[in-house]
Amino acid sequence: MKKFTRRDVLRTLGAAAATPLSAPFLNLAHAQGANIPIGVALPMTGNAGAYGPDMGEAARRTADLINKAGGILGGRKLELFIEDSESSASVAANLTQKFINVHKAQSLVGYWGTPEGMSSRPIAIQNKVVLMVSSAANAITEGDTQGYIWRFQMRATDWGIVISRAAERLGFKSVGVMGLQNAFVLPIMKVFEERMQAAGRKVVDSLVYNPEQPSYRAEVQRVFGKKPEAVFCFGLLPDFVSIMREVYRGGFDSKVVSLSIAADAEGKFIQGVGAQAAEGIRHFQPMPDVAAPGYKRFLKLMGAPADRIFLFPPNTHDQIAITALAMEKAKSPMAADWSKQIMAVGNGPGEQVDDIVEALKMVRAGKNVNFQGAGSTCDFTASGDQLGRGMGQWVIQGGKQVFVEYAKP
Amino acid sequence: MISFIILMSIVICFSAVLALALNFQWGSGGMVNFGLAGFYALGAYACALLMLKGGFNTFFATLGAMAIVAVACGLVAIVTLRVTEEDYFAIVTLGVGEMLRLVALNEDWLTKGALGLSGIERPFNDWVAPTSYSYVMLGFCALMVAATVWFLNKLARSPFGRVVRAVREDDVVAATLGKHVLWARIRIFAIGGALIGLAGSLHAFYYQYIDPTQFSNIVIAYAFMAVIAGGRGAYLGTILGASIVMVLLEGSRFAKDLIPSLSSDQLAAIRIIIIGVGLIALLIYRPQGFLREYRLQANLSGSKQQSP
Repeated sequence: MKKFTRRDVLRTLGAAAATPLSAPFLNLAHAQGANIPIGVALPMTGNAGAYGPDMGEAARRTADLINKAGGILGGRKLELFIEDSESSASVAANLTQKFINVHKAQSLVGYWGTPEGMSSRPIAIQNKVVLMVSSAANAITEGDTQGYIWRFQMRATDWGIVISRAAERLGFKSVGVMGLQNAFVLPIMKVFEERMQAAGRKVVDSLVYNPEQPSYRAEVQRVFGKKPEAVFCFGLLPDFVSIMREVYRGGFDSKVVSLSIAADAEGKFIQGVGAQAAEGIRHFQPMPDVAAPGYKRFLKLMGAPADRIFLFPPNTHDQIAITALAMEKAKSPMAADWSKQIMAVGNGPGEQVDDIVEALKMVRAGKNVNFQGAGSTCDFTASGDQLGRGMGQWVIQGGKQVFVEYAKP
Repeated sequence: MISFIILMSIVICFSAVLALALNFQWGSGGMVNFGLAGFYALGAYACALLMLKGGFNTFFATLGAMAIVAVACGLVAIVTLRVTEEDYFAIVTLGVGEMLRLVALNEDWLTKGALGLSGIERPFNDWVAPTSYSYVMLGFCALMVAATVWFLNKLARSPFGRVVRAVREDDVVAATLGKHVLWARIRIFAIGGALIGLAGSLHAFYYQYIDPTQFSNIVIAYAFMAVIAGGRGAYLGTILGASIVMVLLEGSRFAKDLIPSLSSDQLAAIRIIIIGVGLIALLIYRPQGFLREYRLQANLSGSKQQSP
C-alpha cells in the first residue's frame, strides 16, 4: 500500500475542503432565482422521528399552494429547505447556521423540540432572522427576543392548567405524578401539582425520571406502590412504553393519564405495549380546533380523511402561511421588516380569513386581515407566545383512541 | 456558503481537540475513555458556570474548566488503581461519564437541568465586529488545535512520551524498568482531561447554549471514529480524521441539493448509512488509519512490524 506523506495529507485536506465549496456551483439553476428560501428543521430521526415526515409534507403542500397562486412579493416563489434535526440541540444549531448562511433564509420553521429551539434561538436573534418553533417550554420566548422568536404551540404552563382542570372534574382524590427530566415537562408538573393541591386533592408523590433508562421499575414501584387513584405520567414515547410495561407486569390498578406524544405517537404506543396494557389510558395534547374551517381546509390540502387529527403539521402550515403573509404585508423578504407584521396579520384587526391564497390577495389589495390558521387562530402575545390553541383529551378503549373533548386554557 | 464553511470549520476544530485528547489517552497511553461525553460535558458546563455564576472572564473560565476536568480525570485514574487493564478501565470510565451526564441533567440548582445554560459569553466578543466574529473564532480555534498538536508531539518525543508508550505496550515491563506506572497513568489521563476541558470550553463558546442532549454518547462514537481514521497515536492524522467525520456528517446534507429526487426523510436515513459504510470501508482498507505514530512511520505500509 502507498506511503502516506505530509503532502498527501495536505492534498486530501484540500480536496475535502473543496468538495463542499463546489456544491453551490453544481445547483446554480435554482440557487440564482428570486426564490424566497425558508429553512425547515424537522425531527425525522430520534425520539420525535414519528412527526417529521407529516410536518414536512404539510410545509411542502402549503408552499406549493402559495407558489401555484403566483407566489408572493410580485411573483417570487417560496423555496423550502427541509432538513433532519435528529431531535438534537447541536444538530439543530448547525442546521440553523446552514439555513442562514448557505440558503440565506430569513424564516426558520419547524423546530419541534425544546433543545432544538433553545440552541437555535441565539443564532436567530444574532442574525436577525425569524425563528418559528413548535415546542412548548416557557424559556424559549422568555427574555429579550427582539421580536424574532414566535411559538406555534401552547406554552407548557397552559398544558398544566388544562390537564389539572380535567383531573379535578374526573374526581381523582389522590394522584401521583411522574415526569421526564425535560424542559417542557417540568413547568407542566409544577402547575399541575400546585393546582391539584389548591383544589384540595392529595399529591401522594412527585418524581422526575431520566430519559433512556433501560428500565423504570424502581420509579414505577415508588409511585404506583403508594396506590394513588391516578398517576399522571408526563413523558415521551420511549420512556412511557417502558413505564407501562412495568405497570402492566406489576399489576398496579391506578388509572394512568399521560400526553398523546407518549400514549399515542401516531399509533406507535399501542403497537409497542399491546392493546391490553394500553386499555383505559387517558391522554392529553394541544391540538387544532377540528371544528374550525381552517383545519377542515387543511385536511383537504393534505388529502386526508375528515376524521384525521394532525397534531403538529397544521402548525407547520401556519408557520409558512404567516411567513408569506407578513412578508407580503411588509413588502419585504427581510425578517427585520416582516417580523413586525406577524401580529398584524395574525391578530388583526381585519377580516377573518382561513384561506392563505385569499388572505394573500387581500393583503396585496391593501386590506387588513386576521388570519385564522389550521393549527390555531394564529393570535400571539407581543412576547411571541401563541394564544387560542386548545387541548384534546382521548382515552384508549379496545386498542382504539377515543376522542373525549377539546378545551382551551 | 463561505460563512457556513467557516462555522463548520470551527466545529471541526473543537471536535479535533476532543479527538486529540482521546488520541493521547487511548492512542498513546492505552487508556480507553468511554466516559468521554461526560468529561466533555463537565468541561463545557464548568466553563459556562465559571462565567455565569463565578463571574470569571472567558480566559480564566477556560483555564478553570481545563483544571477541573484534569482533576476529575486524575481522580478517576487514582480510584481505579489496579484496574487500569483496558477492559475494566473502560467500564469504570463509562460509569463515571454517565454519572457526570446525569448530574448535568438533574442538578437543576446548578446546571438548570434539561433546560440548559444559555447566554454564554464568547472570547474577544467586545473587540470584534459581529460580522467578522466567525473568522476570529476560527482563527482562535485553529490556534488551539495547532497548539494542542504541537504540545502532544513535543510530549511524545520527550522522556515522558516514552514512558507513556511503554505503559501502553506493557505496564509490567515499564514497572520492571523502574517506572512508576500508576503515576504515569494519572498524568496521562489528567493531561488528556485538560484537553477535553479545552474542547468543552470551545464547544460552549461556539454554541453559546449547552444542554445535556449535546453530550450524548454519539459524541464518543465520533471521537473514536476520528482517532481510528486518523491513526492511533498520530496527532496530525487526528485532525484529518475529525475533518472527514464532519465532512461526512454535514457534507452529506448537501446530497439532497445535488439529487433533488431524494426526500428529506429518505436522506436522513441515507446519511446515517453513508457514515456507517464509510467507517466500515475505512476499517477494511486502512485499519491502521491514515497516519501512524511517529515512531512507527517507517512501517507506514502496514506490513508486519519488524522486531528490533
